[in-house]
Amino acid sequence: MNPGDEMHHSDATDDAATRAARPTEPLPLGEHLRTPELKAAMLVQQEALHAAREFLRGRGFTELLPPLVGPVTDPGGRGAKALDVDYYGHTYKLMTSAILYKQASLRGFGKLFYIAPNVRVEPLETAGTGRHLVEFHQIDVEIAGATRDDAMEVAAGLLTHVVERVWETVPEQLHGLGRDPLAFTELLSGKFDVCTHAEAVARLRGQGHPQSEDAEIDWTGEEALSRDADRPFFVTDYPKGSRGFYDREDPERPGTLRNFDLIAHGGYGELVSGSERESDYATIVTRMRESGENPAKYDWYLRAAREGIPASAGFGMGVQRLVRFLTGLDALWQVSAYPKLPGVVAP
Amino acid sequence: VTGVRAGGFPERQVRARARNGTRELFPPADAYGQELFGAQADPGPAGPGDDLDRARLVPPVFMPRRLEKLIELAREPIHDDVALETTIGGFRSRLPVFLSAFGSTRAGSGDLALAAGRQAARLGIPMVIGENMVPVHGYRRDAAGGGHGVILARIRAYAEEAPAALGGVVVQQSTEDADSEVWNLLYSDPSTQPLLDSGRLGFELKIGQGAKPGLGGMTVLDTGEAERLAGRFTVRDVFGPDAPSRLRCATPGTFTEEIVRQQLRFMRNNFPRARVWVKLPPGRDVAAAAATAWRAGADAVTVDGAEGGTGWAPRVFLDHVGLPLAECLRRIGRPGGCLLANGRMWEGGRVVRALALGATAVGLGRAALVAVDEDGDAGLVRLAECLALESRLLISALGKYSADALAPEDLWWPGTEPAHGDHAGAVPAIGGGA
Repeated sequence: MNPGDEMHHSDATDDAATRAARPTEPLPLGEHLRTPELKAAMLVQQEALHAAREFLRGRGFTELLPPLVGPVTDPGGRGAKALDVDYYGHTYKLMTSAILYKQASLRGFGKLFYIAPNVRVEPLETAGTGRHLVEFHQIDVEIAGATRDDAMEVAAGLLTHVVERVWETVPEQLHGLGRDPLAFTELLSGKFDVCTHAEAVARLRGQGHPQSEDAEIDWTGEEALSRDADRPFFVTDYPKGSRGFYDREDPERPGTLRNFDLIAHGGYGELVSGSERESDYATIVTRMRESGENPAKYDWYLRAAREGIPASAGFGMGVQRLVRFLTGLDALWQVSAYPKLPGVVAP
Repeated sequence: VTGVRAGGFPERQVRARARNGTRELFPPADAYGQELFGAQADPGPAGPGDDLDRARLVPPVFMPRRLEKLIELAREPIHDDVALETTIGGFRSRLPVFLSAFGSTRAGSGDLALAAGRQAARLGIPMVIGENMVPVHGYRRDAAGGGHGVILARIRAYAEEAPAALGGVVVQQSTEDADSEVWNLLYSDPSTQPLLDSGRLGFELKIGQGAKPGLGGMTVLDTGEAERLAGRFTVRDVFGPDAPSRLRCATPGTFTEEIVRQQLRFMRNNFPRARVWVKLPPGRDVAAAAATAWRAGADAVTVDGAEGGTGWAPRVFLDHVGLPLAECLRRIGRPGGCLLANGRMWEGGRVVRALALGATAVGLGRAALVAVDEDGDAGLVRLAECLALESRLLISALGKYSADALAPEDLWWPGTEPAHGDHAGAVPAIGGGA
């Protein structure tokens, strides 16, 4: 019996299955681990990760295993906090992302990726977005000497390849979850559209949504743009002040970053964030101050930057967001075996 | 009374107001009818004061705004009709007054600060919590027991007493605080959610301070504490090798126009539900800095005059460095947003002068600490009642009935020309040739 059948026939999980069909919050862990939705999602995830590795290795990338703790981590944004750990008397951070290590690693590995676990203590207002978990994973890619266009091309290729492979290898899981292959026809048919942050802001304001022009697209705005689309699309050129110091500022257009998000269609929202990276030491220090960071705590990274970090571009693709998009499930917690929602104390 | 002293500050008068309330605003009631009163030849018991104190409040004879109020009320207006309720940096406040930041100094982080916060809450005025609280005192006292550290205790005490929809709590973050991620901690802490949900949490980017512009925070530590903090702060032996104390210096932080603009955008991007405040030192480019902050979306800009601060500072800074508050306000001119003023505020005359020069509200710092030291239950409340009554009396005397109607025309510095429009028009001056 395959897991798709189990969803409809197993007495043991009927109750859980019914409740999971109208998900508002995670089930107790013991029940959640037995739901057919989770089983199907894990089979999809396994194929997606396999396909991602296949794609990246085929293009000459090396997979490294990421660090878990360090004296600093990605300062990130949008109010998420890093968790502290006591490391032999020093305060270390759990990785919110391994971006700093990715950049440093370019000196030995020109094309690298991680499947990296990350922890971000997200603000409580993200608990209801269906798109945030405190613990999550990223397919984290970095390419020495690459431009933003190069990174966007790899991200689009990666997503397309994963979608194709998952539909080839586990179509019954996707069908069992009610996913229609027609939802991916446009995605598989060609190039993704690109719009700038300014254009996205104008579109949202045109719909009556009060989107700030010098901030991130907010959660409801992102979902609205995502719902309006019939295939994934890029948003580029976010304003400085909305992203980390490592996203490179466009030298031709001060205040604009050479970065991008890849937004899924169908209301699933952002799958990928990426950019050309800043590699100039003095600019990195200045950008740290502009984002309110204390350069002194980035000692090891700044020493590497002084010695010379290669120019690069890269991105992170959220694994759980990717799997939710593939499976069509309602909330991110349904595709994590051990979900931790912002503000909810869970095992 | 814990023995807080405030030399160089009208401490005795503040204590009297904190103890006795509004009766301190008048000559003794039992002297009425027996004693004659008039202006004093000397500058008064509060000392000579600064440039702001030297300005006289000058009511006009003709009062078209009083006529407007008369028409509105259908009776002659009195001082009770002056509306003092206002919006301070996004928060509704009963008075054009807020509780200034006390940092991690001993005076600013103990029971006095807690009592001041409670009373500020009861008054329905916003409260600012100073920098360096978390790196020095920790966030939670002990993770296992769930005890609250100083900063959470102050927020909780305020939230318990504040009337619904009035006031708010603003938390500063310095460079060292940024390492401790103070804003992130508070923004995702379940215990701050009621304030966030009611729009009453704000964050203040501290760019500098009045007592020592150009320097970071300084406190005196005992040797043991100094060793504990040596990894996070610069700790120096300036009191002599045998002294039991050390000087702890925080960094001032580096700011350029672009750094200020981007840090503010970052705050708005990362904490969209929090208000964004900025605190400026009395720098010579204070007008440009304030304009940059407002353009980048700051809900309030606080200017500390060189007279301000509970601050412990090197003597040379206290005596020689920074623009006085009046000059800061003059340089800023007509504000491009909500402007807040700090520095030696304790009575209505100085408050009304600051409002006339463009401030929306003023901060109580030392005065608040002295008042709660005098009476931990109601000292600050009484001091604020005094300030409110004096302000109402003064503003109504100027023929105006809301704090935001005050303008530079209401002030005159002895020895200067009258404000434009106050000349006698067609009537030639005595002795002038017409």
